[in-house]
Amino acid sequence: MIKAEDTTGTGHAPATTGARPELAEDIALAMAGSLNLRRSVLQLLDGVRPEVADWAVVALASPQGAGLQLFGGSDVTAELTVSRRRVAGTALGRVLTTGMRELLHVAAGVEDGLSALIPHSALRHEAASLRPADVLAIGLTARGATLGALIMVRGQGRGFGPDDIALAERIASRASLALDSARLYEQRGEITSALHDSLVPPPLPDVPGAVLGARYRPAAEQLDIGGDFYDVFRAGADWLIALGDVCGKGVNAAVLTGRARQSLRTAAHFEREPGALLGALSAVFHDDTSERFITLLCLRVRAGESPEAGDLVVEVASAGHAPPLLVRADGEVEAVEAEGAVLGVVGDAQYVATTVRLAPGDQLVLYTDGVEEARGESGFYGDDRLAELLGRLAGAAPDVVCAAVEQDVVEHLAGRAHDDIAVVSVGCARTTA
Amino acid sequence: MSAADLGATLTAFQDAVAKVDVTNALGVVDAALADGADPIALLTQVVGPAQRVVGDKWQRGEWSVADEHAATAVAMSATETIARAVRRTPVVRGRVVVACAEREWHALAAMMIDCALRSDGWETTLLGASTPALRLSQYLQDLGPDAVAVSCSVLGSLPTTRRFIEASRAAGIPVLVGGPAFGTDDLRATSLGATAWAADAAHAIEVIRTMPAVVPRAEPLPEAAAAEQAALELAHAALIADLTSRWPGPECDLDPDLVKDSIEQLLHAVWAALLTTDPRPISQTAGWVTALLEFRRLPPALATSLRDELTRALRDYPLASFLFATSWT
Repeated sequence: MIKAEDTTGTGHAPATTGARPELAEDIALAMAGSLNLRRSVLQLLDGVRPEVADWAVVALASPQGAGLQLFGGSDVTAELTVSRRRVAGTALGRVLTTGMRELLHVAAGVEDGLSALIPHSALRHEAASLRPADVLAIGLTARGATLGALIMVRGQGRGFGPDDIALAERIASRASLALDSARLYEQRGEITSALHDSLVPPPLPDVPGAVLGARYRPAAEQLDIGGDFYDVFRAGADWLIALGDVCGKGVNAAVLTGRARQSLRTAAHFEREPGALLGALSAVFHDDTSERFITLLCLRVRAGESPEAGDLVVEVASAGHAPPLLVRADGEVEAVEAEGAVLGVVGDAQYVATTVRLAPGDQLVLYTDGVEEARGESGFYGDDRLAELLGRLAGAAPDVVCAAVEQDVVEHLAGRAHDDIAVVSVGCARTTA
Repeated sequence: MSAADLGATLTAFQDAVAKVDVTNALGVVDAALADGADPIALLTQVVGPAQRVVGDKWQRGEWSVADEHAATAVAMSATETIARAVRRTPVVRGRVVVACAEREWHALAAMMIDCALRSDGWETTLLGASTPALRLSQYLQDLGPDAVAVSCSVLGSLPTTRRFIEASRAAGIPVLVGGPAFGTDDLRATSLGATAWAADAAHAIEVIRTMPAVVPRAEPLPEAAAAEQAALELAHAALIADLTSRWPGPECDLDPDLVKDSIEQLLHAVWAALLTTDPRPISQTAGWVTALLEFRRLPPALATSLRDELTRALRDYPLASFLFATSWT
């Protein structure tokens, strides 16, 4: 490796070493614990100080290429960005282009000697307090590309000896791989998070006269998405609530839930009667070649005829989904009679909605099979246990009911794997008179 | 807003919680916020204390679990109202992920910490109740936060909180912990490898600013104690089944939920003592169970027989046996 030495002052420091040789291994191990680019940079900056350097900055080419992100300095968490043009033709520019290293000595009286390797005035100001100082910049090169540079300063004539430089090179080569992995993870993460955000259950809107609650627990414990889904949206003067289950788990199932939700919203623009809506959706998915089954509950919620009573009229249609449980404020629990074919199985499926009237304090609890089929020590969670729990929770706020169902099911599982679990409850608001 | 005004706010809020009157409770909070009350003071001196009364009422048998749930929902709505006001604060600090480990279903405390940190200028991400460690890790890699804050109110969640600490520290991220399961000093927090411990929301704001940017990975827990806790956790369902079949005995008509809860809390206290080397959870839980029985006017001999049954059930676990025998005398 070519060693370019740019000595702008006198009295260059003697060869010294202060760092443990195993430091490179320690830093590599610490960096292996993180796939987040910023955290990986922090691990590196924290690792090199104070043994290898008194002060350090990591410069990374920004994803768009035009900028240079500068991490660290006196405050390891600090972040600055400068234009890549700023470093063109400087020693740092050479490091970033070639991946080689540059060593520079800056004497006490010299003002601008630092600018060759430190491209920001605030950072130069920090480093200037360490003069007479030695500045070492090493290219961070991994998998054939130079990602940036590790810029380190030793002050008060401590200097970088040959052993220090060899150690710094070892640290940089290991750190480069970790940083590059984190960079790849981050880039991939940007793509997935955009898709992911469109598939997570939506926040619940305020529905006049109604109180809503929901809980969602995907089978894949590291994910926020799965094959269960729900949606609540306004269609004209009505509100529609859907809860469904795509056969399968994980990302592939989640992608189809996104399509189902979007299809429903589009169809609702033309048709708001739940039975007819499910019929339209079934026809769409019948023509589809994805060969996945979707069960779905669709509810239309409207205010009752007399405003004083404050009750809600809910029409319920089901496409092969477990019927919602009607929980009266007094503790009575019954399943709403609603049945119909799973979506897409037959081309011209007919669905008939059942009408339910909710008085203040009553609620309809919708759930997916991850609830009843949760397998614990004593077998499946089951419908009976759910109905018994809901009876005890009668009159509680829908959010409380959903939280309690989730907790009871997860405690029943006692750590066992489970299918996606979704619970939505729509209650009739109590009048606040 | 003066301390006297906050006192009046607390009285009005407690009254609304006792009646499970969400509208009134939110009205009280809204009025206080409009009067310029400090959001943190509202959380720590109004919503928090009112919530402790809820737990006490349940322990004394005055409230059912459903009442407790309903009252907690009121407190959560109040916290959400305060959080909405707080979200207008500009972000001037880094990012914190606030979470509850598995088996921790009391999301309210985490909401309050989230709200308090947000009001101090942190950008916060709140993960819900009982979050798996894998999911926390995913968030840590995706967000790269400056700190993790873990709220733990139940002793049974300390082992999974330890997993959170391991996950965070493996990524170099400092961890702040707090909540009733950690008690009133930092001993349990330090034993589990947390970077810092906070007594309440106001303390959390203070302490989180002083945490280092990067921390090393967590040291392993003492091997023998950790192995025994893991064995107890694996045998948990069997231990509960065995103990509930023998205590309180056929002639005593005690609510099965209360029986299970008492036994479970004591076993969780043993887990906590093993993992943290702090024996106080056992004596404190024994005191809690004894009081619970007293409130229900049950004979004191029931507490003694519960102690004896646990002593028998723990006989194959030497460290647990020793801790239990020396803590519940």
